[in-house]
Amino acid sequence: MKILSPPGLHYPITVGELAKRRDDEVKRSDPLFTYFYETVVEEGDKWGETKEVKKRFPVKFEASIDGAIKEWFVKQGSVVQRPGVSLLEIEEPCTHETQFGGLCVDCGKDMTEVDYLTKEVNSDRATVNMTHDNIALLVSQKEASRAEEDSKKRLLSAKKLSLIVDLDQTVIHTTCERTIAEWQADPENPNYDAVKDVKSFQLADDAVSHVAANWYYVKMRPGLQDFFERMSKLYEMHIYTMATRAYAQAVAKIIDPERKYFGDRILSRDENYTDKLKSLHRLFPNNTDMAVIIDDRADIWGYSENLVRVPVFNFFPGAGDINASFLPKQQELVTQASKGKSVEIAPKAKMEIEGEAPAILSVAASPTETVPAEPIDGATNELEQQLLAMGAGESHEKLEEQAKEQEKVIIAQQTERPLLQQQLVLDKEDEEAEETETAEPAENGHSQSSEHHKHRHSLLHDDDRGLEVIEANLRLVHQTFYDEYRKHRVVPSGGRVAELKGEKSPKKRPRDGHVPDIAEIMPRIKGQTLDSCVIVFSGIIPLGMDVANSDFALWVKSFGAEISLNVNKYTTHVIANPDRKTTKVKKAARYPNIKIVNAEWMFQCCTQWKHVDETPYLIEMDDADRGGSPFEELEDDSINVSGDENGLEPIESPVQLDMSDDQWKSMGDELDDFLNESDGTEDASASESESVVSTNSTSKRKRKRDPESNDNSEDDDSDASINSASKLARRKRRTMERVTSLNTVVNADKSSGLPSPETTGPEEEQGEEDGKTFDPQGEGADLDSDFDDGLEAEMMAEFEKSGSEDI
Amino acid sequence: MFFFKELEKTIQLHPSYFGPLIRSHIHRELLLKEEGSSTGKFTIVCILDSFDISDGQVIPGSGAAEYTVHYKAIVWRPYKGEVMDGVVTSVIRAGFFVDCGSLQAFVGRAMIPTDIKFDANATPPQWTDNGDQIIEKGTNIRIKIKGLRSEVDKMYAIGTMKEDYLGPLQS
Repeated sequence: MKILSPPGLHYPITVGELAKRRDDEVKRSDPLFTYFYETVVEEGDKWGETKEVKKRFPVKFEASIDGAIKEWFVKQGSVVQRPGVSLLEIEEPCTHETQFGGLCVDCGKDMTEVDYLTKEVNSDRATVNMTHDNIALLVSQKEASRAEEDSKKRLLSAKKLSLIVDLDQTVIHTTCERTIAEWQADPENPNYDAVKDVKSFQLADDAVSHVAANWYYVKMRPGLQDFFERMSKLYEMHIYTMATRAYAQAVAKIIDPERKYFGDRILSRDENYTDKLKSLHRLFPNNTDMAVIIDDRADIWGYSENLVRVPVFNFFPGAGDINASFLPKQQELVTQASKGKSVEIAPKAKMEIEGEAPAILSVAASPTETVPAEPIDGATNELEQQLLAMGAGESHEKLEEQAKEQEKVIIAQQTERPLLQQQLVLDKEDEEAEETETAEPAENGHSQSSEHHKHRHSLLHDDDRGLEVIEANLRLVHQTFYDEYRKHRVVPSGGRVAELKGEKSPKKRPRDGHVPDIAEIMPRIKGQTLDSCVIVFSGIIPLGMDVANSDFALWVKSFGAEISLNVNKYTTHVIANPDRKTTKVKKAARYPNIKIVNAEWMFQCCTQWKHVDETPYLIEMDDADRGGSPFEELEDDSINVSGDENGLEPIESPVQLDMSDDQWKSMGDELDDFLNESDGTEDASASESESVVSTNSTSKRKRKRDPESNDNSEDDDSDASINSASKLARRKRRTMERVTSLNTVVNADKSSGLPSPETTGPEEEQGEEDGKTFDPQGEGADLDSDFDDGLEAEMMAEFEKSGSEDI
Repeated sequence: MFFFKELEKTIQLHPSYFGPLIRSHIHRELLLKEEGSSTGKFTIVCILDSFDISDGQVIPGSGAAEYTVHYKAIVWRPYKGEVMDGVVTSVIRAGFFVDCGSLQAFVGRAMIPTDIKFDANATPPQWTDNGDQIIEKGTNIRIKIKGLRSEVDKMYAIGTMKEDYLGPLQS
């Protein structure tokens, strides 16, 4: 170690005699050399007079470490001007590269001792933790990179990569509900087949739940053993989970009883230092080139390039991730709802909207709706949770709260037993279904679906195929990596030529060739999937959220797609909520080349890494929508704006017509509210409408309406908002009221709009014309024409309104 | 090394325990709380049953009673240079961890004889000389303490295997 001139000396100093020569052994606190410095001091003589005298003080310089002197950089008479100058180098017998609990592993010395000689605490030399199951063992950067180099060589020679495996909802799903044990014991139960291979365990030190003997029921993702068996040939696998150590180990025992896949490579929350984030650098401090992650969440990995995001494994509906209460809340609006509902629900859901006989509807919905009322409940619950989360600041309280929350989740699962309740509901539905069937034996096309309702429905479905998809992806990554690696290994002949030409020094080329980086390979593979797709979200991302940075958008972007906020001629796909016809969907429907699909298509593409055929996921559009009658658009727009359109395009929102005077008044109040807290985008929309104030009186209303819609967007959103909770709650309530009242208007409006074909006829043509004019124009012009369109629509609407009032 | 040591402990007892069995409650509380605990210097291995309980004193405000108990216990205190037996809990490239009762020790690469090498490709990974000496999770092992450090309620030790008669134990 080089000894530098320390700060805090009286510089300049002059080196005197060197006490030790080269290669001499020195002990800590041995004098190395003497030096002196000069300074001016006041000296008093015997008559009480003081005078300033320049004096020279000799000082000993002591060794701060043991070792042998390797080299002197100063000699007698050298003057050191400032701190930070090299004085000498001492070769230490032990550099304390690896430390365990404050002790050097190699020499057994205490690293935390501090005395007057200590320049820097020895424990600072080793700060990197790369051990899975221990936080007391730390190594230095140098040692860490050495270890990584070793494992890299080992992996390359075995043709393997590292695979980080998440547990909860990726390879297993856990619940604490006792119901599972009862179902397991009862072969008669409809869920028996699904739960018979569920393993259970108890944790001895279960301080979390304060409930004695808490049983955990673990369902392995179907095909897990085979998956591990095959993947262990391609990957060295690690477990990285946000659960506690005890839990992780218990689960590892279940999924890997012989410890042949994971060994001791288990990293849990206890060793992770933080419970908010997972980091590859925790395990691979310097080199993450060969690491692949599988996890169901991308946000806690900071959208790492090494991540293969997998479809969530949700076997016990509603159980969620029992270990996720420490993690930041996930945006789950659609995942939750669409999970479990497969593609075939789309037409059925549509039927629901069209409003058939209610009895039939319940039958149609029951087989797919595994989670009764889940979408609505999930959304509101989440909202409340997020409000809660916002209220609690970043503090110890929050941590406590989260611990309590986890506890609450577990206790709720134990006491309320949601699975049992859901199964009861399901059974009841089955009974009802049978009754309706006997009552109405032949109902249009539903007789078939009611046929297999005769036996009781099982709540749990053992049909997850996620692992097959993951495996295909992992194989692809592995193959690409080693193809590339081989290519680079073959190259050296060319490299040799270059070398002879003197273009590249041989030293620069590492012996084992270039190792490709997963973080480059994966985005490249993924990027081809949705290349040249321009995607617009509609009704998917919660209101007010930054669309470009939302979870889904980032996900889709990582597959090469572009996200645009509005439908324009470059748009190729609109991902929409099948239950709602938003403005954007309507607009997109007029372009035959734009595919309007549900979110499932996106999930399929992103999990299979393929551009999946859109056909099964298309949301069917009415011919009227395709035709693009502005009238209908108008009416629906007004609903969407005030209701739950996702607020992505507040600029386009046209007038609100069906409003009484006091509603206008309340809106004015809200406008005032809004004006006090306007932000960038809203300003933009305001100024946008500013330019047309003079054109039409309705446009003034429109402007009023515009901020309103923005207001809404703030209301419904819960993530992005920075308002205080109480205010938010109040506004949320207000919005809810408005939504409900207007939702009822949907049907009424639709029916009222229909019986005037003579008015809609010409409009349709006009709409088409507009549609045509979009194409040749640029984007800027697009906006204008858009606006004109809206204006015309407004005027037409006003016209129609007055007309209908007259009638 | 094991010692026979006199210790003192203050025990608080909830009023619901006041009754003819109070002594046995205090006894139980003492065993529950103290046996197996580590003070950072030593671990209490076993409390001997003859002990001296002071008169109880009711704490104002709570109603609980406080007893000072003097007891004798066998304690274990590890020393540098001591040889002890333990069980391997985890094996990594840098060495392996050994649990010796309440003491967690680590044996680093430099403290392992050079003929015993790390085999990362074995499942699970192990240290082995490709003969009869295999160190993996669960192996009984004899090590010598090379360094010791205590924190508030925890002790860390560095062990060595590089001396005669140290290493995995044949069982």
